[in-house]
Amino acid sequence: MLRREDVVRRMLALRTEEVVVTTQGTVVPWGIISKHPRDFASHDSAMGHTADFALGLALARPDLRVWVFNGDGSLLMSLGTLVTIAAAAPPNLVHFVFDNGVYEVTGNQPVPGGGSLDYAGMARAAGTRCVFAFDDPADLAEALPEALRAEGPVFIALRVALEEQSAQSRRPDHPVPSLRMTLAEEAHRLRGELGGVRS
Amino acid sequence: MVRSQQIIDVFQRQGVTHAVGLTDNIQRTLFLALEGDPRIRLVTVCREGEAFGVAAGLWVGGARPVVLLQNTGFLEAGDALRGTAINMAVPLVMLIGFRGRRSLAPGAGRVDTAATFLEPTLRAWGVAYDTLAGPEDLPLLERAFAASERESRPRALLIPEALE
Repeated sequence: MLRREDVVRRMLALRTEEVVVTTQGTVVPWGIISKHPRDFASHDSAMGHTADFALGLALARPDLRVWVFNGDGSLLMSLGTLVTIAAAAPPNLVHFVFDNGVYEVTGNQPVPGGGSLDYAGMARAAGTRCVFAFDDPADLAEALPEALRAEGPVFIALRVALEEQSAQSRRPDHPVPSLRMTLAEEAHRLRGELGGVRS
Repeated sequence: MVRSQQIIDVFQRQGVTHAVGLTDNIQRTLFLALEGDPRIRLVTVCREGEAFGVAAGLWVGGARPVVLLQNTGFLEAGDALRGTAINMAVPLVMLIGFRGRRSLAPGAGRVDTAATFLEPTLRAWGVAYDTLAGPEDLPLLERAFAASERESRPRALLIPEALE
């Protein structure tokens, strides 16, 4: 079993200029350790639609790699997105799913089928070009660099241990910089960072 | 009757880069025309809510998307619209196939609830809209792009008759 904190630290060590989109249980663990201007916390948004958002980013900016850290509960809300991503086939998108089997921020209630679902199998069946699944830290450490370089769309299922995390609210004094802004401010900031502001 | 090519011509004048959505009988010909258009990329989705997430990501990435969907799908996609395009303040034009509009006429018989709930829902969700009933209404589409950009909000064009 993986620990989420170890996984995000490993990803941070491998991150260069990628756009990183987080949601649900990864917003705070990533936001505490990463202060990169290409981070985007999909928080106070629409649960289930973060991978859609990342797909749009990847299609708009084929010159950049886009990583999205999705949750299993979020993915289950929009499983069709696996097919949409596979059909759109962005070579620069890496879709991670942190599978802990529960809705963590509401108190760890199990997701339907929690703990027994094969997300990598679903991604493969949807037509995803490159699929990985990890539940062992040593395997992840060995294979992650290659997985991150693979031509996408890439899907990486991560079986992570159950933890506890309370619900977060955006507020001006939040320790995670992204959560000090409104979602609109964050979206417009990232658009400016990526050079998308029209004159 | 509005021709799909007339809509694509507006899209091109407005710099649209991507059309994101799910086909219906009203916009069927527009989807077919976009499939063969090398200047605007068509991104089809499995459920309409996805379209707003994809479109928001496209806009943040510097592209200029439009969303194409039917009123049934629009009604399903409420939280996705709220949590992405509205909460992110994305200037976004959406074309909504107005299925069942004729059923709203007095004496039309069975009412299509997809039509009944569309305009009240648009108003409740704060999405300004116009109706694109014929070629004479095409300037409304042009104006929707300008208004959505000015207000940094989504706007809708309702299409009650099948496009040619």
